[in-house]
Amino acid sequence: MKCTECNMENIEGAIFCEECGAKLEAAAASDKSMASDNEGAGLVLASPSGSKLEIPAKSEVVVGREDPFSEVFPDLDLTDFGGADGGVSRKHAVIHRTDTGCTIEDMGSTNGTYVNKKRIQPHAPQEIKPGDEVRFGKVAFSLQAA
Amino acid sequence: MKNELNMRCVTSKNALPVTGAEQAVYALVEIKAGTGTSLGSLPTNFSLVLDRSGSMDGEKMDNLKEAVGYVADHLSDNDLVSVTIFDDQVETLIPNQQARNRGEIKDRLTKVIARGGTQISDGLKAGMAEVRKGYAKDRVNRILLLTDGQTWDDEDACLKLADEAGKQGIAITSIGIGDDWNEKLLLQLAERSHGNSHWIQNPVSILDAFRQEVEGMQAVAAVNLRVTARMSPGVKPKRVFATVPMISDISGKAVGGANITADLGSLDGKRGQAILIEAHVPAQKAGRCRLGQIEVTYDLPSEGIKAKSIKTDVYVTFTDDAAAAAKVNAEVMNLVEKVSAFKLQTRALTEVEAGNIAAATRKLQSAATVLLTMGEDDLAAAAEQEILSLKKTGTLTAAGTKKLEYGTRKLTMALK
Repeated sequence: MKCTECNMENIEGAIFCEECGAKLEAAAASDKSMASDNEGAGLVLASPSGSKLEIPAKSEVVVGREDPFSEVFPDLDLTDFGGADGGVSRKHAVIHRTDTGCTIEDMGSTNGTYVNKKRIQPHAPQEIKPGDEVRFGKVAFSLQAA
Repeated sequence: MKNELNMRCVTSKNALPVTGAEQAVYALVEIKAGTGTSLGSLPTNFSLVLDRSGSMDGEKMDNLKEAVGYVADHLSDNDLVSVTIFDDQVETLIPNQQARNRGEIKDRLTKVIARGGTQISDGLKAGMAEVRKGYAKDRVNRILLLTDGQTWDDEDACLKLADEAGKQGIAITSIGIGDDWNEKLLLQLAERSHGNSHWIQNPVSILDAFRQEVEGMQAVAAVNLRVTARMSPGVKPKRVFATVPMISDISGKAVGGANITADLGSLDGKRGQAILIEAHVPAQKAGRCRLGQIEVTYDLPSEGIKAKSIKTDVYVTFTDDAAAAAKVNAEVMNLVEKVSAFKLQTRALTEVEAGNIAAATRKLQSAATVLLTMGEDDLAAAAEQEILSLKKTGTLTAAGTKKLEYGTRKLTMALK
């Protein structure tokens, strides 16, 4: 299997090019087919005031409150959304994007994660989809397609 | 029968295409503490080896003293502790003893004044001697080494000590503060002894690192953890990476002929362990194919358990169905991607050391692209910065090298 970036010949089945690390075509194609089923692609968290927080295109997105003192830098920092007063933990929850959709997992936060007003069990990922209300402690968002 | 540990094995693809050629398969082997397993049943034997050289003066030393106070307060009376301080001379401040004299430990630390140069091997040797005094198989035996400086001409002696420690089941956690120390040495000390390594930029984080260490020792679920993979005829193991507490290429020690034997030290029951195996599978006809058998063995001395074993067989299916063969397991793919970024970074640094600036620049550029794709913007920016530095000066910056070395190794730890 030839890498389209650097022309290096890689063994069949390799996922990333051994030479340049680029995703190899066969793997990229299957990744694309996964992405097309992926309901987590292009999602935002919209606050009641209308501010939008784009969910980065990563397989694991950490939601929490930045705390440089403890070297905690979540992907989605809820500090500006009243995270500290609203009971958001530093590593509060994780949004997982898998080939079957999008799930949210509470990371054992003090004040809990809620999907459509129901508290979810810590470390038990629960499916979420556009239209759902997701609440971290007291800080609520609506999940929307971008 | 209840197992103290659980093992899970997932391959990059459940179905492989029939191609008539050899192909690569990746297997993730994850080991976790079983539900209901009580963690921390083993008392600790903890040796602190601390740099007191002149450059530690001020904020670093103040925070270090506070962190040692935390250790003293949080070890149990049953635990053993020792404190060795070093500059270019060594002093055993607290000889190996039960951790009940908390006031005395803190008091002795208070009187330490920063002075002199840095000679790590002498400090490490003395710290090893202390941990050996209290060494027991039913304890978590560990050394924490903290330094902020370059050691001179004794790197080999340090590595030899780390090899000895690894063989005896004494893990070394190495911590570097600031930018002026040898990250390659500190990482190797950790890797050779199945330990961990941290880079601390801000002295206030010393306490966090010490806290993490104490909590980790108190969460050990098993010791002498070993993963053995026995491949089916024709299946060739190529590379093996440990991924917790940091990504580490253990192929050199682990791959031998058709088998893999990976010694992984102790298992932190809260974090678990995961290794990634890359194997090449020969051409097959359509149908089910057994890749091999994975076995995990471990000891839990507090329960009288020795070399307990869990085994599982790993299968894939060869198929002519192109759609089925195109499906990749996202979890394994994610891990392979992180390991790939780590490999590119490592190879870029090797090229720099060999003076191949053009090759190093290309590798760093590839690493930056991969990191950006992964959403690791900070690390990608660090790689771009280093490319500029290479172009301007032909060398990497001390801080940038550390950021890349530690950042890519710890890509697996973002959620732990």
